[in-house]
Amino acid sequence: MFSAPDSYPIDLPTFHSEINLPYTLTPGRAAGIFLAEVKNRRIVASRFASGQVVAPAQDFSSTNGEEPEAFVEAPQTGVLTAFTRVDGHVIGFIRLDGCDNDFAHRILAELDDIAIGQRVEAEWDDSVEQSVLAIKGFRIAPDAPVGTVKPLETMEEPLGVIPYAMKLDYEHAYGPYYGRMFDEIRENGRFMGVRSPGSDIALLPPREIDDVTHGRTGTWKACADTGTIRGCSIINMEVYGQTRKVPYVYAEIVLDGASTRMIHVIEIDSLEEAKERIKPGTRVRAVWTQGERQGRVSDIERFEVIEG
Amino acid sequence: MGRHVGIVGVGQTHHARRRTDVSQAGLVREAVDRALADAKLSMEDIDTVVVATGPVLFAAVNQPEKWVVDAIGAQGKSVVRLTSGGGAGFAGALAGYYQVAGGFSERTLVVAYDKLSEGQLQYSISTLYDPFWGREFAVGIMGFSAAYWRARMDVLGHTEEAAAMVAAKNRKNAIANPYAHVKKEVSVEDVLNSKPLCWPIKLLDVPPISDGAAAIVLSSEKMAHHSTSRPAWIRGMAYCCEADNAPERSLMLSEPLAIASRQVYRAAGITNPRRQFDVVEVQEPYSCFELNYYESLGLCPPGQAADLIASGATQLDGDIPVNPSGGCMGANPIGAVGVIRLIEAATQVMGRNETHQIKDAKTALVQSGGGWANLRGCAVLSA
Repeated sequence: MFSAPDSYPIDLPTFHSEINLPYTLTPGRAAGIFLAEVKNRRIVASRFASGQVVAPAQDFSSTNGEEPEAFVEAPQTGVLTAFTRVDGHVIGFIRLDGCDNDFAHRILAELDDIAIGQRVEAEWDDSVEQSVLAIKGFRIAPDAPVGTVKPLETMEEPLGVIPYAMKLDYEHAYGPYYGRMFDEIRENGRFMGVRSPGSDIALLPPREIDDVTHGRTGTWKACADTGTIRGCSIINMEVYGQTRKVPYVYAEIVLDGASTRMIHVIEIDSLEEAKERIKPGTRVRAVWTQGERQGRVSDIERFEVIEG
Repeated sequence: MGRHVGIVGVGQTHHARRRTDVSQAGLVREAVDRALADAKLSMEDIDTVVVATGPVLFAAVNQPEKWVVDAIGAQGKSVVRLTSGGGAGFAGALAGYYQVAGGFSERTLVVAYDKLSEGQLQYSISTLYDPFWGREFAVGIMGFSAAYWRARMDVLGHTEEAAAMVAAKNRKNAIANPYAHVKKEVSVEDVLNSKPLCWPIKLLDVPPISDGAAAIVLSSEKMAHHSTSRPAWIRGMAYCCEADNAPERSLMLSEPLAIASRQVYRAAGITNPRRQFDVVEVQEPYSCFELNYYESLGLCPPGQAADLIASGATQLDGDIPVNPSGGCMGANPIGAVGVIRLIEAATQVMGRNETHQIKDAKTALVQSGGGWANLRGCAVLSA
């Protein structure tokens, strides 16, 4: 495989990519009731047939998988069983009075002021609902009386859906082959692949090992920015994360001089017209973006049909 | 060759567009309870567990098996989690098959699920694409699937009408499936006139988005009789991969499926699939895929899939019924689908399919796949 000399720099620019996703998560019955009940300032726990009480409430026992016999109200006081500090926040495990598990939450105290075994008490945040963070955290309360688990006579309907979102940032390393390809796109506005062994046809994107012969690939070659459609579909539905307005064509295009496909888009006026005009075998050319190139595939703004 | 392995218990949830009454773990529990009851076993009888799901991004829970273990009472057991896109369930079953066939387990529980109502399906699938090379233009699995179909349309004659016949057949079959949640008969014209989403794929070529789970109990020959007098024996099972963007990658036949079926047919003694199989269950996330699988599995020669569906041979009363369960058109909890197809085929050869029992079915073919087009597998089951 590619072996870089020791003098080769390893701290190179990276390719930034983001994944942003909204979710509608289902907490299930037990967690759903717990989250619905925080507005009543109650901590709902599960009591199992064995007598074990687990807070926050769980649908299944982590001892044997059984379902709870009842939902109960756990006290808001307990004992600190572990703690650490993360990002300036102290978090800890709290064994609520009468419960058999450790509840992870924030500890509202400085690290130097707390110790295992200390009594703590929940402090609520009036601005938060439907979240475990409706409990702002647990404060040190040396004199808090020992609470008891109480039956829950009435309870809220479980929340069915919790909105949630993830934003994930990545810094991908290019590696030597993608690195040169994107440098060439940015600096010279051309797509360069590497030749298959014993052939003048380029693999694009370039790679070290040929997929078919498993031999090392050859020298670099500039591909044209014209090519032929191999497969295409007319995108007529709006989906989350889309960057183009529908309808448009999603196309798998083989650039002239290459043997492998790239994915890109072709703008169209209407679906019916595109069905006739754009198909496997249709010749297309790249339309580059105006202004400074970024060294990305999207430096080609779109492809357009070569008429005639 | 390893030991004989049979499917001795099956269970699936009543799939739905959205289940807000149970968490992911609760969904899994339902399928597992049903499979264990069907196998007349409890978790204590299970040696190893395989948990299979689609990509983490589908429902935002990483390493979900630790959550699932609590829900199914599998504490202290050997548990592995496996993911392989749409083929996750099938790949999970293959992992379980290896464990029992290899003598490392007498009974293995395989449970597969996805709760697709919780996330952004097509966008999540777009992250399968190379972040450098194509992801910014990806339209989930639908954009590329439609592009492949478009290429096959010209060369192999996989017309819109032929795919519409597949959609109409599977949607009709799903009506009697107690676990399906889309149960509406549509005509070929309805499919052809439905809204283009990623043309040539139209709305009625597309399966629903579902929440669901499915579980099977795999058993060694020695222990199988505790559960049933008629297991569905796995006569061969393979799951193969092709290169992602290789110069010779075909948009036509599914090469990994053709390779997998050759291996499996050799193991199972299948020389004439069209005649030897009594029933077939395929994972057809879009109707066009079923046409492709007819050819890749050797049910007909390349270029004759449209004739095969038009002939009626793959209908319920045809000589090679395909998807009597309704396939993905009735329910499509993606990660679970590989196991659902195994369940539907296993119950056929066990003589107790709940949707449409094919009379005297003895030998069944199952197909499943993941990735976009590059991971495909199949299995042969017999009584």
